[in-house]
Amino acid sequence: MPMWFARGLRRGVVTTRYPARPDRSSAFLPAPPAFRPRQLTRETADRMIAVCPSTALSRPEKGDGEVGGVLVFDVGACTACGRCAEAAPHAVTSSGEFELAATARSALIKKIPLLGEAR
Amino acid sequence: MSSGVNDARRGTGGGPVAQDEAEVARQLRDKIAAQFGRSLHIRTLDTGSCAVCEQEIRLLTAPHYDLHRLGFFFTPAPRHADLLLVTGPMVRAFDLAARKTYEAMPGPKVVVATGACALGGVYPPDPFVHGQVGEVLPVDVWIPGCPPSPLALLYGLGVAVGRLAEKTPGLTFIADEDPSGGET
Repeated sequence: MPMWFARGLRRGVVTTRYPARPDRSSAFLPAPPAFRPRQLTRETADRMIAVCPSTALSRPEKGDGEVGGVLVFDVGACTACGRCAEAAPHAVTSSGEFELAATARSALIKKIPLLGEAR
Repeated sequence: MSSGVNDARRGTGGGPVAQDEAEVARQLRDKIAAQFGRSLHIRTLDTGSCAVCEQEIRLLTAPHYDLHRLGFFFTPAPRHADLLLVTGPMVRAFDLAARKTYEAMPGPKVVVATGACALGGVYPPDPFVHGQVGEVLPVDVWIPGCPPSPLALLYGLGVAVGRLAEKTPGLTFIADEDPSGGET
């Protein structure tokens, strides 16, 4: 009898809740970017928005219910392609996050403050 | 068609005021965790994806990830499914099939949008695609990623059955400043 089967019978555990440790490969997976607000000027943000192939990055102007002075990052739309990091390596790093599932779409939309912008 | 989860999320099945709604949603979540806690059957639905999400989904059954030890199983028919794992940007030609698949599932049921296409990141709405799954089906859980890795999928399934707490609301995606000061 395989040991795991005997162990399962003894403990009465039928199923596991979640892997106890993160997979080693998770460190090498492409992950959405994380931004450094002190390096993130309006020009840098616009440069990143210009190269973003999905609609993950945007910079709404103040007014129309928008706050302005922020870079809006839609994590759900991000394909982790890394082009923003290429365009502005000083302002972007990898977040390393992969546990990103959300029960509300709005939870995936993040606002990153821009440097020296009034909100 | 009554679906406990979706009714609660949208508030149609809840009480007349918002606090009742939250209470009903909480009770339903508990019920789902109890009912689906150890056995959840998943039907995948490809609505025009590039098939990389499917590759990652298929990897879940590999020994390395071993989805079955977590109590999740794939089923070939929506009639046996508790959870619909939807990939792709929802091509308009697929509307009828998607709705029929959803309606064929017994309640309570959960819809999980998988990958950046399904979340509306890749294709804008046009005459051929809706651009996101939420346009046609009531989505309960969103799993970002292009493609989401098997681990991200496992985490999303755990969130969908109420087994794991979601981390996303707490994440800011603001990095610590570069220790070297960085160069602008």
